[in-house]
Amino acid sequence: MLQAPFKETAAYACGTAASSVNKTGEWRFLTPERQFRQSPCRQGCLLQGEVPSWLDAVKRGQWEEAWQIMSRNNPFPALTGYVCFNPCQENCNRDQLDQGIEIRDVEKAIGEWRLKNYEPSKAIIEKKKKIAVIGSGPAGLSCAYYLTQAGYVVTVYERSAQLGGMLALGIPEYRLPHKILKRELEILSSEGVVFKTNTNLGSDLELNDLYEEFDQVFLATGAWIPRMSGLPGEDNNHVYNALDFLSNYNTGVPQTLGSSVVVVGGGNAAIDSARSALRVNGVHHVTLLYRRSRLEMPADQSEVEAAEREGVELIFNVLPRSIDTKGGRIKGVTVDHSRTDRNGLLVDSSNSFYRECDSVIMALGQLADYSLFGTLDGEQTLFAGGDLISGPATVPEAIRAGRLAAMAIRSDYENIPVSEQEILTGEVVSFEELNLAAKVNLELQQKEADPQREAERCLGCGTCNSCGICYLFCPDVAVDQVDGKFEFNLDYCKGCGICVKECPSQALVMKGGGR
Amino acid sequence: MAFQMISGSQAAATAVQRVGVDLVAAYPITPQTAIVETLADFSAKGELGGEFVSVESEYAALACCNGAAAAGARVFTATASHGLAYMHEMIHWCSGARFPIVMVNVNRTIGAPWCLDPDQGDSLSQRDTGWLQLYCANAQEVFDTVIQAFIIAEELLLPCMVVFDGFYISHTYEAVDVADADQVRKMVGPPAFAPQVIPGQPGNLHGLSTGETHLKLVKDRHQTMLKLPVLFKKINMAFEKQFGRSYNILETQIPSGAKRAIVAVGATAETVKWALPVLADTGLIQLRIFRPFPAAEIRQVIEENELTELLVVDRNCSVGMGGIFAQELRSALYELQRPPLVRSLILAGGVDLTENMLLDLLQSTGNEENFALRWGDEF
Amino acid sequence: MKIAEINRQDEMIYPGHNACPGCGAALAVRYLTKALGKNIVLVLTASCWSIISGMPPLTALKCPILHCPFPSAGSVGSGVRRGLNARGHHDTTVVVLAGDGGTFDIGLQALSGAAQRNEDYIFVCYDNEAYMNTGMQTSSATPFGARTNTAPYPLYKEGEKKDIMQIMAAHTVPYAATATVAFPADLEEKLKTAQKVKGFRFIHILAPCPPGWGTESSDTIEVSRLAVATGFFPLYEVRNGTDWTLTVPADIKSVSLSEYLNRQRRFKEMDDRRLNELQHEINRDYKRLLEKVAKFSAEDQK
Repeated sequence: MLQAPFKETAAYACGTAASSVNKTGEWRFLTPERQFRQSPCRQGCLLQGEVPSWLDAVKRGQWEEAWQIMSRNNPFPALTGYVCFNPCQENCNRDQLDQGIEIRDVEKAIGEWRLKNYEPSKAIIEKKKKIAVIGSGPAGLSCAYYLTQAGYVVTVYERSAQLGGMLALGIPEYRLPHKILKRELEILSSEGVVFKTNTNLGSDLELNDLYEEFDQVFLATGAWIPRMSGLPGEDNNHVYNALDFLSNYNTGVPQTLGSSVVVVGGGNAAIDSARSALRVNGVHHVTLLYRRSRLEMPADQSEVEAAEREGVELIFNVLPRSIDTKGGRIKGVTVDHSRTDRNGLLVDSSNSFYRECDSVIMALGQLADYSLFGTLDGEQTLFAGGDLISGPATVPEAIRAGRLAAMAIRSDYENIPVSEQEILTGEVVSFEELNLAAKVNLELQQKEADPQREAERCLGCGTCNSCGICYLFCPDVAVDQVDGKFEFNLDYCKGCGICVKECPSQALVMKGGGR
Repeated sequence: MAFQMISGSQAAATAVQRVGVDLVAAYPITPQTAIVETLADFSAKGELGGEFVSVESEYAALACCNGAAAAGARVFTATASHGLAYMHEMIHWCSGARFPIVMVNVNRTIGAPWCLDPDQGDSLSQRDTGWLQLYCANAQEVFDTVIQAFIIAEELLLPCMVVFDGFYISHTYEAVDVADADQVRKMVGPPAFAPQVIPGQPGNLHGLSTGETHLKLVKDRHQTMLKLPVLFKKINMAFEKQFGRSYNILETQIPSGAKRAIVAVGATAETVKWALPVLADTGLIQLRIFRPFPAAEIRQVIEENELTELLVVDRNCSVGMGGIFAQELRSALYELQRPPLVRSLILAGGVDLTENMLLDLLQSTGNEENFALRWGDEF
Repeated sequence: MKIAEINRQDEMIYPGHNACPGCGAALAVRYLTKALGKNIVLVLTASCWSIISGMPPLTALKCPILHCPFPSAGSVGSGVRRGLNARGHHDTTVVVLAGDGGTFDIGLQALSGAAQRNEDYIFVCYDNEAYMNTGMQTSSATPFGARTNTAPYPLYKEGEKKDIMQIMAAHTVPYAATATVAFPADLEEKLKTAQKVKGFRFIHILAPCPPGWGTESSDTIEVSRLAVATGFFPLYEVRNGTDWTLTVPADIKSVSLSEYLNRQRRFKEMDDRRLNELQHEINRDYKRLLEKVAKFSAEDQK
């Protein structure tokens, strides 16, 4: 080792100052910029959720950020994580590479995080306006959430003893655990929402009276009137409508269905009824009759498959003609074959069969009760949304309706837009447009059970999802990496365009104009 | 005192071993081969201390030294003639980079045609590269000068070339006092210069610079090199104390009253010394240091002795200009009020200097056409 | 290695360096210095990086850089390694960085000498296939058929690209590998492997040069990818001159050579005859490589 003291120092060229004093950004005549294009998952999402963005946040382990993005469109990911039929997943571009992303599972994970890490919102400016929400289904709860976040005082009226609407009464436990709904309701209460159950508008409460206490009213009473079939024998006691049956099933009211059940209908309520019926004590066989083909069933296919797996017998292109009763009991159902052609539904009575059963559940659809409209005197605005307005739809659509209603109500008092922010227009990013060469070379993954790792597989179609490829390939280190997110450093970017060309997500574009 | 009967080449190698180096990069070329072979012997006996590596060319040898010196190692290499010419780019680089490399060059003619005789043009054609150049006239001087070269190089942080004639010095044997390693190391010490390449300390060493920067650096080198005379005296005082020998920048033997002197470098100086008794009214000025050129010292000798004529022996020829020592000398004397006459004897090709040549030259009247310039083939 | 892992490593180059936009050499050095870490010393010979490294008082790298004259990379590196050892820095990695000129042509002697002596450092050649720093003149690394400023249209480079890897294999160096900037994980893994090997290591990196190749600056990665896919620049390793492994296979059947050539103006107006010659050369070399890989693989199984 060198020990002697250095005697002479020589002069020679030696540079130690960092070259970062050179702002090579001045070389640029084209600049890379973020762009947002419609992603197929977003396009499919009934909530218009910013799916790639919250997947990105989860990937980076930023659960709070993921919740913030999620709750802009959906305050109840724990719920929708269970019950949404995820049309987003059907569009997922990754499916054309290896396996599509299990978006719903990640959504569920965000929901679980929310339920576990909930802290009451910090105080915000109170608007000193009181809003009444009629109906505690997803539309009502969503509206209550958004208004409360904005500082309004909300009371939710519910005619039944249970809060939740379809969430509590229509969707069975095995599809949506009750404890999830319970926790969401707790959170809403903690946020300041007042719930009043067993209060029916029209009998316990008058619409016009509400306006003495409240500034605005949001009607979200849903569609609860069962459609009748008009079949002979329908008035028998052992003929149930799906809503009543499911309500009772979900609230633990004991029901006897005998041993063999026939369910009529093709929607989600029909499938829910069939699967729930199987779980009722004493039931050994459930048959579902639908008048059209399997493909034409409105019910979600994954639910149909689940029903099949559980043993429900599905018969298509059949229509019951009459219910055979004797001595107050049901003996069976006479069923015709049916088919659809360009003239509509054709029933072939010459081709029929008899199915023995002990009970029949009619799941022919629901109607809304419009009787409340037209009872207003005076010039108040009445807001309404959800199944009440659209007819039977889905939970996410109801949540969206609640959010839009909140925005509309707020726009009366605040300077905010009445309707939704601009929805991305333009072509949805197709799989072919994605530049996957770098990603595929670097990592190819199969579906992951862990939500954070599953979120890593998202290709971020049309949105930056922090994959880091722009940072990786920049010859000038002109991309800053902060907390897993990437930003261009325009002091140094020379505008070479590699980042834009290599971006797998179609999230970047070169714009004319340098510094 | 420890005498060995060794050649000039062996003396050089022994000096290197005494000093203690971290690295010897070796490439053979006649007449230097014995240097690298002797060092290889030391290495084989475990006495070298540092590494000995045979590289693939002279350029590589100096490049390897360059790299090691950058890291703070004490290094040595040797070459001659074509080898030196081959390294030319690197020779410039080492000086500009301020690496204290010591290199022996054994004079040999550069072709074409091939020629092994000791023309000094090889080392002289490197005179503009910024290396110190020290010329030796016998094997003892070689031994002592190589040791001193390490001290000088590491003090001034400039590379140093030690030069001596091929065959006359490299291959002839003399009794040389080779001292012992402890004594030498006490004098020279371990490598004492700052490394430039220091792991963990970023530095863009010798990167692209402007002309203005280069000017400043050249000026620094030039002014640094001019410090040699003072340093040389200091070193030789210590050398005298330690080994009982010392050297001056110029070796002069001028009989009183003599008005002319022969200027010689290397082995030819020994010839002149030996012939002096029969050369009337003539003295000798032996140049030991060529870079920095000892202009002030020479002027002083000339003025003190009121010399009117100098005969410069050049075993070289810068074609188109003449003998290089003569040229440099004339330039150094320009400032004198009464500069002496400078006559040139060109012995390019390393042609031997004989007493008869000297007698012939000194008998000129001064009216001959070729009074100022004589060639070695005219005798 | 995952992208996130590569990205997490410390950057060893500063922004603000003056490489051309889209420079493959800048990326190559960025990746290799990231892979090797802070305890390195770079010996740098005349090449684009001599300029990219900055003009003192500036520097573009966070490690010591020792510039050296053009032919000397291999030998100065030998000296630096030994000098560092003499001063006790045995753990410091010495990287000798040269362009194709300083490796294949003027630097070949020093490279060969150092390889033969099994000098303990990593020699990295970043190959932009011509003397780009001086304005795109032909080198022996220029591929057959390409045009340069010393073989301008209608001239073109005659003679094949020199096979430097075979030369290194003939020297039986402990580790040699090819790499390119489109495969940073592959490049980094090879450098990390090299760092652990003792003796002479050689890395040959293909670094596309937008001005010299006549490519879009944004195409650097894509072009480098195509070079591999077409078999023009396969990615492989060879240990001790005998053990050959392929790390990224080509896909000659699916990716045609024209796809690669058409993106580069230096190959403009390649007539069919020359195209066929180049294709023949690529096929022949790739086949030979595969045979060596297969042979080693078979022996390795035993």
